[in-house]
Amino acid sequence: MTAETQAALSLRGVRKSFGPVIAVAGIDLDIAAGKICGLIGPNGSGKSTLFDCCTGLVRPTAGQVLAGTTDITGWEMARIAREERLLRSFQKAVVFRALTAEENLILAGQMTAFRSLAATFSLGPLAHRRVQALRARAGELLERVGLAHMRHSKAGEMSFGQQKLLQFASMLMPEPRTILLDEPFAGINPVLIERIVENIRAVNREQGVTFVIVEHNIDVLSDLSHRLVVLSRGSILADGNPEDVIRDPRVVEAYLAG
Amino acid sequence: MPGIAIGGRYAAPQVAGGVLIAACLVLFPLVASSYQLSTLIVSMVFLLPAIGLNLILGYTGMLSLAQMGFFGVGGYTSALIAMHFGTPFWLNFVAACLVPALLAAPLAIPALRLRHTSFVMCTIAFVFIIESVSKNWVGLTRGDMGLSSVPRPRIGLWSDGFIVHTTVQYYYLGLLLCALAVAALVAIVRSPAGRYMIAIREDEILAASVGGRTWHYRLAAFVLSAAFAGAGGSYYVHYVTVISPTVFDPSYTNTVLVVVLGGGVGTIAGPILGSVVFVALSEALRIAPELRMVVYGLVLTTSVFAFPKGLIAPLTSALRGAVQPKARGPHDR
Repeated sequence: MTAETQAALSLRGVRKSFGPVIAVAGIDLDIAAGKICGLIGPNGSGKSTLFDCCTGLVRPTAGQVLAGTTDITGWEMARIAREERLLRSFQKAVVFRALTAEENLILAGQMTAFRSLAATFSLGPLAHRRVQALRARAGELLERVGLAHMRHSKAGEMSFGQQKLLQFASMLMPEPRTILLDEPFAGINPVLIERIVENIRAVNREQGVTFVIVEHNIDVLSDLSHRLVVLSRGSILADGNPEDVIRDPRVVEAYLAG
Repeated sequence: MPGIAIGGRYAAPQVAGGVLIAACLVLFPLVASSYQLSTLIVSMVFLLPAIGLNLILGYTGMLSLAQMGFFGVGGYTSALIAMHFGTPFWLNFVAACLVPALLAAPLAIPALRLRHTSFVMCTIAFVFIIESVSKNWVGLTRGDMGLSSVPRPRIGLWSDGFIVHTTVQYYYLGLLLCALAVAALVAIVRSPAGRYMIAIREDEILAASVGGRTWHYRLAAFVLSAAFAGAGGSYYVHYVTVISPTVFDPSYTNTVLVVVLGGGVGTIAGPILGSVVFVALSEALRIAPELRMVVYGLVLTTSVFAFPKGLIAPLTSALRGAVQPKARGPHDR
């Protein structure tokens, strides 16, 4: 398998500054395909900005972002999602609240079922069959994350933890290659954390999906990840095997120093 | 959204209710006076641009106040083509949808760079520009005098056909056009594109994160809303047979807003109900001209307090109660 050696996501000297503030100070990083990589660091260390640079929400001030071998620097977020199947979650905006759980998933799957803009306006039998196929897949995924009973519930009426599970399921709809999760365990109870962890492991193992996970829950993250990268002030402070990284005195100091 | 579940089928009571209301509307001329019918014709004149506003505001989340600008463009287009070329109504109508849509596309390119209040301001500015053109391009529009003796709608394939002239005939023409417009709106919002539009209304960045071409769908919503407004302009101009720059008066824009917001934004049935109730109310109050706007304002204020989600909301929840939960099965569309 070359997937072992290939990078799913590569950053080459990525910098991002907002006026005088340097959020990301030139990062080089290769995320191996098929692995789970944890990304930690104190608040303001540049984790979310790094995600924003990778997924096209902001354009890096300098440097390159590659998905596999494709240079995606400066691409729009929607194009990165559609063409590279590089998806991300957000900390706060989790799901489309006015849509049902099932509709949230169908929406997320539309990028594979309806490639062209014109196709999305069609209501013919072909479009109908494609939506039905997405609906069936949505049912399977809701089953998988344990939300089958909430299929027709409005996402806005679900608990925050259930919304996060739904968000996770919706990221699986378009057959993703790489998923960036921004604090997937924040603000939810341990039972649901366990359920999300199990699903991440299973998807990674069965489908070879690469994960990069920003999270403050270091215990859960170091247990889940194959590799842990620590950011501090926009630079990489430590990188390696999770057990070694969390014992690294510089990491301990960065966290205690806040 | 209340009123429509995208991708889900309508529950039986909803269908039955819709059929019943449609039947009442079709049979209404048998019992109604000419005055009552002309009031409903005015309702339908406002319903067409309101459907467009509902698409852009209710389903895509952008407030456009340019609807009556596009309504006017549609009206002028329809009138001018009919006057100069003697074309049948269907052709005037199609042109009245297309021309505002084609005009909306280049206007949208700068406007869609803006969000929220700046976008709203920009759409107000469009109406000023369109109004000014209609006043000053005298060779085409006859300026402030406007166009008069606009031909009545001729229903026929090309050179001959039946001329719509009685109130009942205008009523049925309006009913047909509104039915087509409602069907078009339903088709748009139930398509995958409609799902992206709703996603944009909910959260534009999240919509982009699931691969939605947000700019394109906002453009589509703006252009389509202009086409709906133009349709209204066409129906209007062949009904009143005159058009002048007074059509751009902000009070008409207000009426369209009241119809959509008061009826129930983001629902299919809301603006339909809103157009009947609020336009009919405004007409009925003509019996007391001095108090008309005071009473209208009070009723509107009360209705907004009582039904912040529009007049349709209590009806929808009553229907939903009747349907029982789980009315939607797993294999619906």
